[in-house]
Amino acid sequence: MSAQLTPDQPGKRIGATERHRVDSPPVEATEARVQLQAWLNSHRASFLDSAWRIVRQPFGSFFTCLVIAVALSLPMGLTLLLNNLNQLGASWQQAAQISVFFELKTTDRQAQALLADLQSHEGIAEVQWISREQALQDFSSFSGLGQVLQELPDNPLPSSLLITPLQIDPDGLQELVHSLENMPHVQQVQLDLQWVERLAAMLRLGERFIFALTLVLIAALLLVVGNTIRLHIENRRTEIEVIKLVGGTDGYVRRPFLYMGALYGVGGGCLAWLLLVWGFAWLNQSVTELASLYASDFRLAGVSLDDGFSLLIGAVLLGYIGAWLAVARHLRELLPS
Amino acid sequence: MIRFDRVAKRYANGHVGLHELSVHVRRGEFLFVTGHSGAGKSTMMRLLLAMERPTAGKLLLAGQDLGKIRNSQIPFLRRQIGVVFQNHQLLFDRSVFENVALPLHILGLSREEINARVSLALERVSLRDKAMQPPSDLSTGQQQRVGIARAIVHQPALLLADEPTGNLDPKLAAEIMAVFEDINRLGTTVIIASHDLALIARMRHRMLTLQRGRLIADGEAV
Repeated sequence: MSAQLTPDQPGKRIGATERHRVDSPPVEATEARVQLQAWLNSHRASFLDSAWRIVRQPFGSFFTCLVIAVALSLPMGLTLLLNNLNQLGASWQQAAQISVFFELKTTDRQAQALLADLQSHEGIAEVQWISREQALQDFSSFSGLGQVLQELPDNPLPSSLLITPLQIDPDGLQELVHSLENMPHVQQVQLDLQWVERLAAMLRLGERFIFALTLVLIAALLLVVGNTIRLHIENRRTEIEVIKLVGGTDGYVRRPFLYMGALYGVGGGCLAWLLLVWGFAWLNQSVTELASLYASDFRLAGVSLDDGFSLLIGAVLLGYIGAWLAVARHLRELLPS
Repeated sequence: MIRFDRVAKRYANGHVGLHELSVHVRRGEFLFVTGHSGAGKSTMMRLLLAMERPTAGKLLLAGQDLGKIRNSQIPFLRRQIGVVFQNHQLLFDRSVFENVALPLHILGLSREEINARVSLALERVSLRDKAMQPPSDLSTGQQQRVGIARAIVHQPALLLADEPTGNLDPKLAAEIMAVFEDINRLGTTVIIASHDLALIARMRHRMLTLQRGRLIADGEAV
């Protein structure tokens, strides 16, 4: 045991002196390596200590993670449901077709010439020509009036074009309808977009609701993590004071709590992922049953690997930030006495 | 090593902790600071630990002006100082070994280095066989020895002790003082704040006597 502090060395960083003395590194490179090793040792010790403290209180830790999981899975689950609705809506958009009815006197050749023109139109995804004969045949089979129609002297149905637009953009569609109306031989153009617009409006409303809910739940999550960390800080008040008195930096004091916040985030994120996977599997049983009644093979898309990892990273970041805010606030109050 | 140059400490409530104190402490010295409650002993200790800053004068520790030290440098300053508290300030949820190892964890030393140093420190306070016990299993005197081991484990240049024998009976107090003398013999500067004049007199070291923040005597205890 010996006193090593060289007296009266103005401006010398005392910590550097201590480290130099402790490890006696003769070369700068060795000093850097030793300091890096010390830094890693310190991080490893903080991480293990935080993990151990969480494991040592399994029930408390589990419920903290569960609160985080619920707060995360709600907006995430609603967003995934909305995405599913969007996809369902996109498939329904095909029903938002424009029917172009020709005048009765329009010949097949004239109609097909228009069909060829429209196939290269930039706002149109698909065009299908329905001849007068095809229209009569379809109508007979769907309406159940086949016998009556056969007794008519002439086919009363015009030929038509069934147009699937590229996008459900009300303004663009109105423009398309207007240009179709001005085409030769066109008798009538029909477009029914109201229900698609309603669906789009509902989806937009849903997005806003989820955004607001996400903000509220993130704030709640930060408070939960912050409060949990605050309790840990209170429980370790003496330890923090001693650490500060024996030379622990604020970073050193802060580190285990930040790891703890991040670990709570990991736990909460994993639980949220599990909850969502289970929840979507449970919902899918009913959804597929319902879809099958409509002759559809639609099923909910669950949590993809990308979404799962995003959820996990988000949870870790929120845990870390919550811990940081709590530590920053309470460390100022914890001065050595 | 330590120079108080007309150092004053006045608190916001008007109380004067120190009044123009001028003292020089040499490296390796053993020094008692005594006086009644409120004399300024603890203020002196707090200034040396950079827990407070002087309101006037200059306080130098190893050439570093503690009145101007940056907050970010304070932890590094404290790594050069060992502190012993009257109430030990031990962590009762950890073993004796872990309590003593705390300053070494802060330095980020390897496990092997920590084991070696803690063993040495516990050896010096005759507690090596108690390393794995919780502090609550030890007597008050042994707990104070753990506190001393923690204060010396990182080989500080300066050891500060604020009323380290305040809760101990005379026999235990003498034992603790003997430990401090051992540490001092190895070159560590030791400053002890105490109002136990009988104990101080037996040890025949330099003694500063403070009264209401003023230095009224500086010399060998008699």
